[in-house]
Order: sequence, then C-alpha cells, then structure tokens
Amino acid sequence: MSGEEPMASTHDCGSDAAAYALGALEPAEAEQFRAHMDTCVVCRDEVMAFQQVADALPMAAPQQPVPRGLRRRVLGQVHEEARAASRAAPSRRRVLMPRPALAGGLAAALAVATAGVIALASGGSGTAARVIAASVGHAELRLADGHAELVVNKLPQPASGHIYEVWLQRGAAEPSPTKALFSVTSTGSGDVDVPGNLHGVSEVLVTEELAGGSPFPTTPPVIVTHLS
Amino acid sequence: LPDLREIADEDLMQMIRDGEVRAFDVIFDRHSGAAFSLAYRMCGRRAMAEDIVQEAFVSLWRSGARYDRGRGSVRSWVLSAVHNRAIDAFRRETVKSGRDVRDDNLAEWLAADDRTDREVERRDEARQVRTALEGLPGEQRQVIELAYFGGFTHTQIAEMLSLPAGTVKGRMRLALSKLRLTLADGGLVS
Repeated sequence: MSGEEPMASTHDCGSDAAAYALGALEPAEAEQFRAHMDTCVVCRDEVMAFQQVADALPMAAPQQPVPRGLRRRVLGQVHEEARAASRAAPSRRRVLMPRPALAGGLAAALAVATAGVIALASGGSGTAARVIAASVGHAELRLADGHAELVVNKLPQPASGHIYEVWLQRGAAEPSPTKALFSVTSTGSGDVDVPGNLHGVSEVLVTEELAGGSPFPTTPPVIVTHLS
Repeated sequence: LPDLREIADEDLMQMIRDGEVRAFDVIFDRHSGAAFSLAYRMCGRRAMAEDIVQEAFVSLWRSGARYDRGRGSVRSWVLSAVHNRAIDAFRRETVKSGRDVRDDNLAEWLAADDRTDREVERRDEARQVRTALEGLPGEQRQVIELAYFGGFTHTQIAEMLSLPAGTVKGRMRLALSKLRLTLADGGLVS
C-alpha cells in the first residue's frame, strides 16, 4: 500500500480487499475502505482483481429454471411503467408489445375478479379463455387451450415448513391431490399451473400443507374455485 | 425490426435507455436464470428469491442509464445487483436462521432448455468455477461460501467459527487468490 495512507492505521490494508470484494466487510468498514482506495493504488488494484473472481462466483450456484410467475410479474411491471412513462413523456420513444398474457394479463384478471366466469381474447390468437373468480379467497383460475393456471393474490405466506397445495374436487368424492405446490411472494401473489385433466372437476381447492405436500387435505381450503 | 435476440447485451442496454421494453425482455430472458439461481442459492427461499430478482430487474429498467460497459458485463452488473439486494434483505430482516431449502420441489417451473452456443459456454464456465471452488481447502471454501452466498460479514463468520477476524479475512484473501489463479488458467478472469 502507499506509504502516505491517511487510513492506513485504521484497518487491515493487507486483507480488507478480499473481504470487500466478497461484500463481507461491515458497512462502516466498507465505507472506510472505499475512502482508503481513493488513495491506495495497491488496494484498488487488488480489489479489481478479486472483484473479477467474486463476479464469477454466481456461476457456481446450482442453476434453477425461472418460475413462470416471476417472468410475468417482472415484465408486467416494466411494461406498465413503460406505458406510464410514455404517456407522461411522449417525446421519449417507447415501443410497446401488446402482450396480454404478460403485461396486462394479471391486472386484467384481477380487474374482473367479481365477475365470475368471463370470456376474453387471449394473446391475440383469437383463442377463447375463461377466467373464473374464486368464491373463497382472492384467486383467479385461468383456462385456455386445455391449460389451467391458478393466480392467487393477498394470500399470506405459508408457515415455515409449509406450502400451498392444489386439489381437484369431483362431485362428492374426496379431493384428489395434485403435484402443484406453491408459495407466494411477500406481497401475497403467486401462480401455479394446475396439472391433470379437469374433466368432471367441480372445484379447484388450495390448502396449506407440510412442505412436500399431503395425500389428503389436513387444513380447510383457503382458495375455492367452482368450475361448474 | 431486427431480431433482438441477436443483439449484444451492451447494445440492448442502450436500447433500454431509449425506452425499448422489448430489449428489456431479452435481457431478462438471458440473465434471469442466473439471477434467480444466485438469489435462491443465497436465501434458500423461493418467495424471497423471487422478490429479490424482481427488485433487481425493475431497478435495471429504471436505472439502465447508469450501466457503464467499461466496468464489466451486463451479466455481472445484474448479478451484482441481485447479490447486493440479497445481502440487504438479510441484514434488514436478520432472518438467517429462518432460511430453508425445503420448497425446492415445486412444480411450476418453465421448461426452458436454452441450448444456444452461449448457454453451452456458460455451462462450461459454471463447471470451471464449481471445480475451482471444490479445489480449495475446506476452511477457505467455507469462508467464501459463508461470505458470498451466505451474506455474512467477516465478523459474523469469525463469531460462528470461533476464529479471530484476521484469520477469517486471511482465509478469504488466500481463497480468492487461489481461485483467481485457477480461473485465469481457464481464461475466466484476466
């Protein structure tokens, strides 16, 4: 390090660079180290070298597919902000892609929450979709092209070690479990594909179960959606 | 219109600055997998990981003008934003003991199977980084895992491991130095 470092005596110049690159200094230490780097070319170079290594570390994380709902929420929010900005500042060029299933889909679904079964155009393809509002809980069941998706809202996060499980009820029979297990974001929203054949299904239910799911419901349903 | 998927990240960022939302879509699709993987690896809870990634990408959209290509790749910028937000979340909530990974069997994944050349290359790079980490002595790998993926500070790690803070920082330095040499051999760092 430089021999004229005003901060030299206040921290460990020799090893702070690694901790800094890893984000492992205490906030006050990090602030102090940033000030130190303004005058210490050795630490600055060392941080630059270590930062390259730290930037590569995320690649060591096991790769996970992106949850479908995350993509919809992020693109939905950004497209909405783009539209709002375009209205507020028309001089800034905004090219908007009409993507009802992404940007407007969730908002549209929520807007019709009390309307029961509603037919709407989906994705510009002309394919009819149905949105069914839940009779218990805040949720929408979206049916299109033989595919069903449950979009929930205002649902509390399940207790630690628990998860939400989707069930299919056919008439008076016991509800059938599905592989659809899901959690919700901190704002209580989430969505999940409803697997299996919905033929003869009268209700789609959601209960809170132990992580991993249950073969039979152990708690009262927090979401009930009537199909018939 | 050109196929935006053929355009380099840095040029897409310029388009984002101009308000082109389709450029943002491409950036999201390219990097959200790595971003979510990092967030999930760090916090072990899906809902929290999703919130972190959502915040990071929305912030990218809002602050795209702050991206400086001279300071690294878009991917590094995105992942750095995710990392910082995860650490902020840990320190804000102080819920480290509440982290768990028991909800990893959820059935709502996208069946994304991107086999572009760039993805193949990235998988190879990921393998190199994992191998390099596994090649570290256990006590050095431990402090890297706790600091980078766990979001713990060196003083917290020192308390956990009953070690002097200087020892922890020394192990971090040794570990990053070794990783740098290994990754430089593979051309991953300069």
